[in-house]
Amino acid sequence: MEQKLTDLELIQNILAGETAQYALLVKRHQRFVFTLALRFSKNREDAEEIAQDCFVKAYKALGAFKQTSKFSTWLYTITYTTAMTFLRKKRLDTDSIHNEETFLQLENHTSNFNANDYEKHDSHTFLNQAIGLLMPDDAAIITLFYKGEQSLEEIGETLNMEPNTIKVKLHRARQRLKEKLQYLLKDEVKELL
Amino acid sequence: MNAIEQQLWEYIDGTLDEAANKAIEEKIASDPEIKAQYEDLLKLNSVLGTLDLDEPSMSFIRNVMESVAAEPAPVALKTKVNSGIIYAIGAFFVLSLLGILGYVFYHAKAGFASFTLPEKFNINLDRYITPTTLYTFLFVDLVIGLIFLDQFLRRKVHK
Repeated sequence: MEQKLTDLELIQNILAGETAQYALLVKRHQRFVFTLALRFSKNREDAEEIAQDCFVKAYKALGAFKQTSKFSTWLYTITYTTAMTFLRKKRLDTDSIHNEETFLQLENHTSNFNANDYEKHDSHTFLNQAIGLLMPDDAAIITLFYKGEQSLEEIGETLNMEPNTIKVKLHRARQRLKEKLQYLLKDEVKELL
Repeated sequence: MNAIEQQLWEYIDGTLDEAANKAIEEKIASDPEIKAQYEDLLKLNSVLGTLDLDEPSMSFIRNVMESVAAEPAPVALKTKVNSGIIYAIGAFFVLSLLGILGYVFYHAKAGFASFTLPEKFNINLDRYITPTTLYTFLFVDLVIGLIFLDQFLRRKVHK
């Protein structure tokens, strides 16, 4: 049976000239990079553009990857900076992603969701919906922590923040997520959690 | 968020030290309200662990590969350094040294008026420069040249 190559082995092969193997790296990380991009852009089309741009940038800079840290951490850093640049280019005020007004706007934007639809959706739909209502940084931290297999230090490296700041932000993000779930599901939240 | 909730999250994440860990375990065991709060957070934590990742479009990998096909193949940074730059820097230093030496020789007064070699250094070089020495010298040069040629060709094949 063919043994699955690690990220570092694939990178070494690509650097040695087997560039087609980059498709395997993309396949392995595309879902996470796309999800992370979606946390920032809140729009599938933009997220796809960001994710694609991120993989092209990573390919071009692959020779500069030091191979001392995880490839995923390096890739997520590129995703984060690419998303920020993209949002800036789209003339969105990136500072506003940290303020509560945008948060409320996003909340209003999607708050037409009816809790009665609960039966039609499973818990994951609600969870993704609630994450969609969070501020991009909060949503990204939760995604990185739970799905990216990233430690607080690695998330700090990705988002250019201190691990302690990430720890506090993660706690707050989970608290806000709980509030969003309560808002979306009202009494049914107990059934989900 | 209250302090106890933060401690409970840190306990769940496993980021507390041993003493704090023990303290929170005691609180969970003795206080039913904290226990209920802990169980709620534990459920949320397990639901978060089952989060689904979104899927990009079917053509995503193809699009990426088409975009990167137009880019030059990536190479490790250490081999990326242009050897021409290294040679140019080397040539600059060699020329500078030759210039300085030329300047010094041009302004120096030639001649060894009062210079004589000591008795023990008075070597008769003609005794050593024989046809055998010359052939040995040329043979060693040939071997070194072949080694370099071999390395050069190997590098070309590898590229």
